[in-house]
Amino acid sequence: MLQRTLSKSNKTDLYLDLVELASGLILVGFLWTHMLFVATILISPETFNSLSEFLDTYYLSYIGIPFVVVVALMHFVIAGRRIPTRMQEQRIIWQHAKMLRHTDTWTWVFQAITGMAILVLASIHVWLVVTGWPIRDFTSAQRMEAFWWFYLVLLLVGEYHAGFGIYRQFVKWGWFPRKPISYVSKAITAVILVLGLAAMVVFVQLGGTL
Amino acid sequence: MADRELTFEIFRYNPAKPEIKPRMQTYKLKETTGMTIFVALNMIREEQDPSLMFDFVCRAAICGSCAMIINGRPRLACKTLTSTLPRTIKLFPLPVFKLIGDLSVDTGTWFRHLSIRTESWVHTSKTFDPTKEEERMDNKIALEIYEAERCIECGCCIAGCATANIRDEFLGAAGINRVARFMVDPRDERTPEEYFEVVGSEEGAFGCMGLMACDDNCPMELPLQMQLAFVRRKIASIGLGIKQEKKIKMGIG
Ligand code: FES
Repeated sequence: MLQRTLSKSNKTDLYLDLVELASGLILVGFLWTHMLFVATILISPETFNSLSEFLDTYYLSYIGIPFVVVVALMHFVIAGRRIPTRMQEQRIIWQHAKMLRHTDTWTWVFQAITGMAILVLASIHVWLVVTGWPIRDFTSAQRMEAFWWFYLVLLLVGEYHAGFGIYRQFVKWGWFPRKPISYVSKAITAVILVLGLAAMVVFVQLGGTL
Repeated sequence: MADRELTFEIFRYNPAKPEIKPRMQTYKLKETTGMTIFVALNMIREEQDPSLMFDFVCRAAICGSCAMIINGRPRLACKTLTSTLPRTIKLFPLPVFKLIGDLSVDTGTWFRHLSIRTESWVHTSKTFDPTKEEERMDNKIALEIYEAERCIECGCCIAGCATANIRDEFLGAAGINRVARFMVDPRDERTPEEYFEVVGSEEGAFGCMGLMACDDNCPMELPLQMQLAFVRRKIASIGLGIKQEKKIKMGIG
């Protein structure tokens, strides 16, 4: 026990939990705003472009993107500490979830899986965006036309992770009862998904005409 | 529903006889009206297999000793009607706890350990005077204490919790609920910092991942989500040095 006694600050677990909460909230906030911004293509390519230009002129994208990347990495490390790394523990969790057939336990298992998928997919996404800078309707349309299947997966996985993540944090901290929070987070997720899919369709069509 | 023939698949293993490997054994039984799993198990033991091990004491969902995994979910055998289940019923002992044999586990040692770790007794500097009238307590607080005190220590919440299944030291919902019970008790003189010591870690309030299987599987329907969240918020604000009222006492939920 010596090593634990000497290494442990008694506040560490609290701070980690709060950082997990804060980084999660920031990322959900970002993702939802991001999707709303992307969906401006539904209004018109001009709206999309002027919003994008606005973000560039005021350096918002130059600050925002690195900031979100850092927060996302932090979230991955800190929330990821919960994921069992040992083979036997993983087997226990898997069997446990199968036996219990309990929705919130299963959604957590997928939370862990989608979290890791996002790490890989979102890194590729950021790479594609940055190498194809600036963000304009035609650059996005080109990406979307070539990689629509990739973006479809990223959209589903990301929205799943964000929707259930925010639900779980509200449940954990007890700000609201479970039922209403579950409905609200599902409703928002559905809206964002519809917007995202619609935007994808528009981009793919634009890609064809360009 | 009437005249069903039930098939019971029951986990069999006696740690005292490790040469016989764990296995599933099948029993058939005619369903009767109002039959509970507990009644069925007794019939099987009386008529078919006297070696079958399982526990019960009260037969009325009060003692918590008959908890087991019934078709995948932690339930009290004496409270579970066979009529609510399909024809084939699978029974396993609760995970996490020490297996005594077949469906019987030792929850006692686990809960005793929990009591010691959470120091589940009223910490007071007052000396008890048996001749004096009992101190009065606000009715609302008394009800809040009662709500948490209804826990029968059956172990269903622990068995259903993924974290408790992989981390031996995790207090689980039963433990955190127990802490909540003392936090609202005005007779307990522990300071906020002392409470932080007890549950302000991964083993306590911050280890919970919010899977809520405890809340969904509690046979007593304790408001475990609210209790967990109450303790988490309270302990977090103590840890952040947010000034507490002289004592912690505050409503749950
Ligand atoms: S026998 Fe006491 S709770 Fe079932």
